[in-house]
Amino acid sequence: MPYVFYEMKKAVIGIAGLGGLGSNVATALTRLGAGKLILADFDIIEESNLNRQQYFLDQIGRPKVEATIANLSRISGNTEFVPKQVRLDPQNIPQVFAEADVIAECFDLPDQKQMLIETALAEMDRVIVVSVSGLAGVGKSNSIVTRRINDRHVLIGDGESGVRPGVPLAASRVGVAAYHQANAIAEIIINGMKVPEFGGSDADA
Amino acid sequence: MQTLKINGSEREFPAGQMPQTLSSLLDHLDINHATVVAEIDGQVVKRNDFAETKLNPGQSIELVRFVGGG
Repeated sequence: MPYVFYEMKKAVIGIAGLGGLGSNVATALTRLGAGKLILADFDIIEESNLNRQQYFLDQIGRPKVEATIANLSRISGNTEFVPKQVRLDPQNIPQVFAEADVIAECFDLPDQKQMLIETALAEMDRVIVVSVSGLAGVGKSNSIVTRRINDRHVLIGDGESGVRPGVPLAASRVGVAAYHQANAIAEIIINGMKVPEFGGSDADA
Repeated sequence: MQTLKINGSEREFPAGQMPQTLSSLLDHLDINHATVVAEIDGQVVKRNDFAETKLNPGQSIELVRFVGGG
């Protein structure tokens, strides 16, 4: 039995979107021993997803929620997975993630990111949101940072690299952002559900 | 002069020229309303309320802008 952080076992984490960010965040949190993951997505797997998302050729055409749970169940029997095959909107977000301590914002489109964050912060009482903006392209690893916006909102990314012609999403840099996201979530949970300053050394923690 | 603190920096406006609403501030800064999360003095303001949210000098405004990719 591997070492498990006790605080992780008690944590409930919502993952909003199971694409390049969400499929990687969910994998890391499962390996970290998260108690419960609420996995929300409406989409099915396409071949174009496989350049960065944690799925396999033989899963093309399957719903991402179902495939994610199939994959994560092969990693660990210690995490409970709650499937939410749904298109998230301002009406259903508070219900879908009612149990969550933290929500990982893992959407692709910027207006969807905005919608999720304002809904969670304005309509839900205590949940902490860890969001991402700016991760397209390759390289520039050190421009992706984790930043505390306030006691309920954390922002990851370089803040400017959107997807555009010649600057696609790629496994390596999406992975850097996704693992920042999972690492911030783990830090918040182990810190007693408080958002730290995310300094660079242990002395800042 | 009237000031607003925007993302931690003081921003001065000549008297009478400070944007009156959150919506007009976003237009003044050329920020797309659909891709920004806005907070005034630590309280999130929903996008549907941008136009009717009046601004007062001295307020602290946080504007978190989002680009696509995930």
